Amino acid sequence: MKKIFMALVLSLGITTSALAETFTFVVPQKPGSGTTVWTEIVLKELARFMPGHTLKLRNFPGARDIPAVNAFQNELRFDDTIVMVSHGGNGVSFLQEDVDYNYADWESIGMMNLNIIVGKRLDADLDNIIFASKSGRVPDAMGMALLLCGKLDSIAEYTTCFKSKVNWVPGFGNGGDRRLAFKRGELTVDRENPAAYKKHIAKNPDAELWFHHGILQADGSHADDVNYPGKQMEILYEAKWGEAPSGPMYDAYVLVKSFRDALQKAFWVNAGNPNAELLQKALLEMSKDPQAIKAIQKKVGKYEWVIGEEGNARRDTLMSFVTEDALRGLVEFSNDALNIKAVYKESILNADAVDVVEEEEGGIINKIKSFFKSE
Amino acid sequence: MSAILTLLAGTFYGLIIGLIPSAGATTGLVAMFGFISYFGFDPYLGVIFCMAVVAASTTGDTYAGILLGIPGANSAAATMVDGYPLAQQGRATEALTAAITTSTLNGLFWGTLTFALLPQYAKLIMYFGIPELWAFILLSLACVGFVSNKFWFRSIIAICVGIGIGLIGTDPETNMDRFTMGWDYLGDGVQLMPLVAGLFAFPEIIAGWRRGNSIATLSGEETHTHQTWEGIKAVWKYKWDALRGGAIGAFVGFLPGLGGAMGDWMSYGATVASHPEEEFGNGNMRGVVGPEGSNNAQKATSMIPTVLFGIPGASFAAVLLGLFAYLGFELGTQEIAADIKFFDSLTFGFMWATVITGILCVVFNKHIAKITYVPYIYYFPLLVGFIIWACVQYTGGWQDYAILGLTTCLGLFMKKYKFSRPALLMAFILAMKIEALSLQMWFIYSVDTLVTRPLFLGIMSVVIMLLVFSIVKRSKLDYA
Repeated sequence: MKKIFMALVLSLGITTSALAETFTFVVPQKPGSGTTVWTEIVLKELARFMPGHTLKLRNFPGARDIPAVNAFQNELRFDDTIVMVSHGGNGVSFLQEDVDYNYADWESIGMMNLNIIVGKRLDADLDNIIFASKSGRVPDAMGMALLLCGKLDSIAEYTTCFKSKVNWVPGFGNGGDRRLAFKRGELTVDRENPAAYKKHIAKNPDAELWFHHGILQADGSHADDVNYPGKQMEILYEAKWGEAPSGPMYDAYVLVKSFRDALQKAFWVNAGNPNAELLQKALLEMSKDPQAIKAIQKKVGKYEWVIGEEGNARRDTLMSFVTEDALRGLVEFSNDALNIKAVYKESILNADAVDVVEEEEGGIINKIKSFFKSE
Repeated sequence: MSAILTLLAGTFYGLIIGLIPSAGATTGLVAMFGFISYFGFDPYLGVIFCMAVVAASTTGDTYAGILLGIPGANSAAATMVDGYPLAQQGRATEALTAAITTSTLNGLFWGTLTFALLPQYAKLIMYFGIPELWAFILLSLACVGFVSNKFWFRSIIAICVGIGIGLIGTDPETNMDRFTMGWDYLGDGVQLMPLVAGLFAFPEIIAGWRRGNSIATLSGEETHTHQTWEGIKAVWKYKWDALRGGAIGAFVGFLPGLGGAMGDWMSYGATVASHPEEEFGNGNMRGVVGPEGSNNAQKATSMIPTVLFGIPGASFAAVLLGLFAYLGFELGTQEIAADIKFFDSLTFGFMWATVITGILCVVFNKHIAKITYVPYIYYFPLLVGFIIWACVQYTGGWQDYAILGLTTCLGLFMKKYKFSRPALLMAFILAMKIEALSLQMWFIYSVDTLVTRPLFLGIMSVVIMLLVFSIVKRSKLDYA
């Protein structure tokens, strides 16, 4: 009897220890940063839906928030208890910097999709805009270039036009100094996420909304934001220039804004991680819990959650934007117009897009062959 | 009752943090992310706790500077210049009492002005644009480099090295790594904690170890109670230095993003410049009262841009912003401006923690100051442990230790050859700001527009006057 009891106790202990995991959420920033605070808020709610498990936050800061994400790609992701927390800046870096990581190798637990709003001062001269530079602001600069310059044939022409109309001022941080400079009128255009927009631009009597980027949909299109109807860049462009935006500059713009805004905050594990389902299920339950969502929205604003398979599908949609033309356009504009040292990475091109290019090349060769044959 | 208990807990926690060398309000607040959620049941208690931590840690960080010659936080470095020699002369209680009384009184005075008139400051802050902030930084470097040190050429070298170290990291223009020598760890820049520890803490600890015995010896003539009274009387005697320091600190706090170190050094520089006939750096009580007038005043007025605009007035305020967001308070909004309970909690936490800390410190100074009579060997392992712990909080890896080793070598070299360590520290802290403001000014302004800004021209005139002053009438201070 004693042996049976002991065996029961032991097996119960083994079962419990196998089930109870300590999950470490790696944040690529310092304590107190925006993504750290966001993660702390979400983890506090998520913990209620993962009873018996421990959720830990680990700060892994480094230059431009890249080292942690590189470490996740190269090493950490093979630990089934590690969850990577990424933000929009990581998305922009992925596209045009020499980083190790690739979202295609990961599985989405969930992501928050949001819009970015661009405001301008009422007295802003749109032929002489003063805007704070930062690599995470590339989509805003490209949106501005499209709106101000209309349909042009090449990235080089957009670069010339942008430089003639926008004073891209370096040296501003992410928060206070930039906002104060905008309030004082030293900067004439600024941009914010929806929560910060309400606080810093919407309530500024000297400022108004200029445009927003729209919200990425499951089918890859960008929808107008119901909070700011009629102010999406595409809508304003069409109203001003009489046609919908298109061409290499627009493709590059769609690519970079999608990677920044749709991946604004995201949880990732390695593809095939056996704990993925558990984490996705808990996050899904949390997203359906009014109390949890209310607590999160109160602190970080109202953003759309995309969870589990939907998150993977959204990631795949994003990857489909990484075509050769779009990527080359982005890199060229970043280098020439924005003075950001961007690199073109063929390795991240969407496989389908590469196939299309190859097919087209094959098609041309076939046409030439058939031309000579016909001769 | 719960508010009082929270206040006491915050004050106690802040005091402990302040006593740890190289820590300070920012460190104490960052650590709070681990337990801020416990205030979820009543976020206003969280506000009281946070403000108590700010007030208590600012007062508490004076101890390490005066007793050990190690700045409790970077903002306490200026107090150390004359405070530490006073401790070595057996006048630690007097120096501590004077410092804490000044700090408390200025905290109360500027705290009252800040919290009572908070909504009135919104327009005032708009007069300080990019050129004025840039000129103000030059002024602070002129204070620490020229007025506070007689080796002005070595100070220039120290400032250049400080700026060089401060610029390691990411180029704000190209977004590429800069001066990292291929070491990825440096991509995020050199962290403040190991630099402060390497420049100040370890050179002083090593000096203490070599000395072998206590920092000071008992004279037997003067009791600690007598010294306590002398310290309080010193505040009255040097009241104009205290008030000037408070006003400078309050002004620096009011300007977003400049930070406490600048206010303290400007106050110290102003004190030295006001008394050219006196000797500083060897234990002048004015040199303690001047900068100590600044720190609590600066913390109080830093809350003006933080609360009104949601724009941090200093590094501690940036962390505070995050903590308040966690508690559900969005600073810079009209909702917060209308939340009277929030303002009451801010005022209650800061003001009462200032009073309690001031009383506790003055009462117990004579006991705490006895550490200077204890042989170094008894407490230096604890000190080394604390400092190393604080320095490896960044990544916890070998790189943290390597940086600490390198900065310690630099600190030892500078101490030996009388290069101004405070000037290097100050330049390091402000390097990115100098670069950022220079770029902003270059891109947005021209000479034609600059000459139309009277405030900018006024501050630049003071900088030039200070430079001339330092060349014509050289400071006697040789602290390095």
